[in-house]
Amino acid sequence: MTQVSAPTKRARARRGRIPGGPYLLLLPAAVAMAGVSIYPLFYGVRASITHYLYGREFGRNGLTNYRNVFHDQFFWEAMRTTAEYVICAVTIETLLGLGLALLVSREFRFGGPIRVGLILPMTIAPVVVGVMWRLLYDSGIGVTDTIWGWFGAAPPNVLAHNTSAFIAVVVVDVWEWTPLIFLILLAGLQSLPQEPLEAARVDGAGRVRLFFDHTLPMLTPVLLVAITLRTIDAIGTFDQIYVLTQGGPGTSTRLISIYAYNTAFLDSQYGQAAAMLLSLLAMVTILMVAAVRMLRKSAA
Amino acid sequence: MSGRWSRVGFYLLLAAVLFVALFPFWWMLDTSLKQPIDIFGGATLYPHHPTWDNYSRLFNTYHFAAYLENSIIIVIFSVTVSLVLGTLAAFSLTRFNLRFGLNNSALVVALVVRMIPGILLVIPLYIMLAQWGLLNTRLGLILIYTGLNTSFVIWMMQSFLAEIPRDIEEAAMVDGDSRLTALWRVVLPLAAPGLAATAIFTVIATYNDFLIALSLTSTTDAQTVPVGVSTLIGKIQIEYGPMAAAGVIGALPILIFALLVQRHFVRGLTLGAVK
Repeated sequence: MTQVSAPTKRARARRGRIPGGPYLLLLPAAVAMAGVSIYPLFYGVRASITHYLYGREFGRNGLTNYRNVFHDQFFWEAMRTTAEYVICAVTIETLLGLGLALLVSREFRFGGPIRVGLILPMTIAPVVVGVMWRLLYDSGIGVTDTIWGWFGAAPPNVLAHNTSAFIAVVVVDVWEWTPLIFLILLAGLQSLPQEPLEAARVDGAGRVRLFFDHTLPMLTPVLLVAITLRTIDAIGTFDQIYVLTQGGPGTSTRLISIYAYNTAFLDSQYGQAAAMLLSLLAMVTILMVAAVRMLRKSAA
Repeated sequence: MSGRWSRVGFYLLLAAVLFVALFPFWWMLDTSLKQPIDIFGGATLYPHHPTWDNYSRLFNTYHFAAYLENSIIIVIFSVTVSLVLGTLAAFSLTRFNLRFGLNNSALVVALVVRMIPGILLVIPLYIMLAQWGLLNTRLGLILIYTGLNTSFVIWMMQSFLAEIPRDIEEAAMVDGDSRLTALWRVVLPLAAPGLAATAIFTVIATYNDFLIALSLTSTTDAQTVPVGVSTLIGKIQIEYGPMAAAGVIGALPILIFALLVQRHFVRGLTLGAVK
C-alpha cells in the first residue's frame, strides 16, 4: 500500500498520536459492518441448520434443510432459469457495452451530456425500471401492440407467455445494465496507454487488427472485472422480476432470488431459504474461482 | 468525404442508441400525464389531453408523500453516518501501521462484505430486527443501510486518501493541528472530489434499494419510495396512470440529483463500479 519503511512510519504515527490509537477510528466502522453483514451471515448459517415450523424455531435439524433443497426440483429449475438468464443477459450486455464504449471513447461534441444520457437507465431504481417496462409491454396500453400491429400480427401480450416473458425480462436487464459495462469499459479504454496503439498504427495496422491485437488484450483485465461484477449482481436479480412477472407465467422467470424470497416470506421456511442461498453462494464462489483460474492460465 | 459520412453515421447510430435508452423514460412520463381513456386509446407519443390527475391521486389516495419523506430521511442519515464512519476508518487504514496486517485484511473484508448478495442477508436481518423491535421503523432501515454503505465507503475513501501526500497534513500538524483537525482542515478538502463521488454512489444505492426495504417494512411508517411504487402493482386491476406517476416521482430525485452533480456524476458512478 505505502512504500514508507517501518521505522519512519512508526515515528510519524507517534507524532500524530490520537488518544486510544488508530484502532479507535476503525472501531465504529467495524461494528457497523459486522452488525449488518458478518453477524447476519453467521446467523444465516445457523438458520440453515434450524427447523422452522410456521415461522418459529424448533431446534437444530443438522443438514436436513440442505438435503431438502437438493431434492427440490423447483430449486434446480430456478437455478437453471437463473443460469440461462445470467448467461443471456451478461453476454449481450458485454458485447453491446464494449461496442458502445469503443464508439464514444474519443472526445466529440456534446460527449458529456450524451454519456450521461446513455447511463441514465442504470441510475434509477430497478423497481421503477420494472414499472417503465410494464407500461411498454402490457397489452392494451403499451407500445408492443402497436409495433406488432405494423407487421400485421396480433397483440402479443408479452408477459403472458413463457418464452416471450423470459426474453422480455432479459431485454429489461440488458437495457438497464449495459450502461454499467459501458461505463467500466469506457474508463478502461480512456486509461489505456496510447504509445503501443500509435506504434501499431504507424506500422500500418488496420482498425480491426488494431482492436484484436492491441486494444482487446490490454482491455482484458478491465473486461473481466466488469463481467464478474455484473455476473454477481445478475445472479441476485430480484426487483424488476418482482414488478414485471413475479416469476411467472408458471415458473418461466422464477429466478433463485424470487424462489428463495417466496420460500422465506410466503412459506415462512427461513431455514430452507437460508440453506438454498448458502448453497448458491458456495456454487457461485467455486465457479468464480474456477473461472478466474482458467482465465489466468489461458492468459499465461 | 468519407470522414464526413462516417461522422453522419456516427451521430445517427448514437441517436438510435440514445433513443432506446431514453424512450422508456418518455413513455412513462407520457402515460403519467394521460387520462385513463387515452392510456387505453392506443399508443400516442404525447398526452393529447394532459392532466395532473394521476399525480394528485398518487399523493391523496396512495400516500406518496409519506414514502418520499421516509426515503429522504433514511438516505440522509444513513449516507451521512456511513461517510463519517467509513472515512475515519479509511483514514486510519491509510495513515497508520496497524497490527495483525489489518491495513490489508480490513480492505479485503470490506470488499467481501460488499459482495454478499442482499437476498442472503435479508432473512437474518429480518429475524434480528424482529428481536429488537425495529421491524417497520425508519431507525431499523437507517442502521442497516449505514452498515451496508460503510464497507463501500471504506473501500472508496482509502484509495482517495492514499493518493494525498502525508507531508501536507504533517505540515499542518507542525503548525499546531492534531491528527484529526488536520484531517478535517487539510486532508478532507483535498479529498472532496473523492468524497463527492463516494456520496453520489451511496445515495443512489440507498435510495434505489428495494429488497431490504420490502422485507423489513410493512406500512407507510417506514416504507420507502421503491416499496411504495411496487404497492401500485400486483393488484387485481392495475391503475396504470398512478403507477406511471409513481415511477416518475420515484425516478425524479435521482434525475434531479444527477443534474445537480452532473460534473461528478459519471465519475462517481464509474469509480463506484470499478473500485
